[in-house]
Amino acid sequence: MFINWALQEINLKIVYYGPGMSGKTTNLEYIHSKLDPSLTGELVTLKTKEDRTIFFDFMQIEVGRIKGKKPKFNLYTVPGQVYYASSRKIILNGVDGIVFVADSQKDRMEGNIETLLDLEKNLKSMGSSLESFPWVIQFNKRDLPNIESVEYLQKKLNFFDVPHFEGVAIKGLGVFDTLKSVINLVVQSVQRQL
Amino acid sequence: MVQVRKLKDGSRQIILAADQFDRITKILSELAAKTKASTILLADISGQLITQRGNTEDINTAILSALAASDFAATAEMAKLVGEDAKFKLLFHEGEKRNVYLSNVGENFFLVVVFDVSVTLGLVRIYTKKAIQNLLEVLDTGDAEDESSKLIDDDFSSMLGDMLDESFK
Repeated sequence: MFINWALQEINLKIVYYGPGMSGKTTNLEYIHSKLDPSLTGELVTLKTKEDRTIFFDFMQIEVGRIKGKKPKFNLYTVPGQVYYASSRKIILNGVDGIVFVADSQKDRMEGNIETLLDLEKNLKSMGSSLESFPWVIQFNKRDLPNIESVEYLQKKLNFFDVPHFEGVAIKGLGVFDTLKSVINLVVQSVQRQL
Repeated sequence: MVQVRKLKDGSRQIILAADQFDRITKILSELAAKTKASTILLADISGQLITQRGNTEDINTAILSALAASDFAATAEMAKLVGEDAKFKLLFHEGEKRNVYLSNVGENFFLVVVFDVSVTLGLVRIYTKKAIQNLLEVLDTGDAEDESSKLIDDDFSSMLGDMLDESFK
């Protein structure tokens, strides 16, 4: 979080984390396509030729002034594929809140768990943990066949009972609810600690 | 001083006081004038833009600082992998029309200087080095104005919630 008293700005960093192809970039693309252009800058996506995130995606959102203060949200995604573990750690630097985008498909459960453990490892190296850090979970791809039930996903992934959302990111379902939730969670968490 | 502190949940908080902002802006303005740099950014190592001078209309500086931070972080990892004890102190990218010079400012910040190819790198390095010394002094001194608890209260939270509902329809 960065507070600039001169400009009365509060800047928060939100990172979308999750296994490869779970829909992290899709979340940001949807947000960018739907928000009024006055509220958002460009969406930068660093991708391979096959449209896989190679380093990160980034966009900034502002919603206007609240009591004279201007909150700005910097949204990042991480590359999901296993071999980009170092890059994920780099992108987490300075993070204030996390959205874990899980892939609801049965054959992706292992990937979800592996990435969640990877996230926990990185948070621990920052002096935090999934237990204390502000994060929410989105169970994406709810429109596909062969998916796990929400109850099962909850049991396997949401052991800390953080806010959870069902999503079909490609159609925008659950995308804004997820974002609102993580922002509110971060602000409340900061409030508690100040 | 510019407060850089860790909160209980592990996240990092940076607080920049108004007088520091003014002093930093002045240092960057002087650097821009001496190097004829088209854009100068000061950012924190996570990619958060702190302040900027120069032509910032044509360039999305929030994106530039995010990319530059990743540049630094990635090359730091590369340095580790190749057996370097310390991370690379500076990065330089040479273009056809513009060059980009990136330099660490202490442990938590870095400077991005975008300048025309007609300006020699040596000149930019000399003035940037001086600017960094001045910046470090500002970043280490000044009033520790911490009224952050007044910044985010219940009112703010609830109004933010309303604003998000309104904007994210």
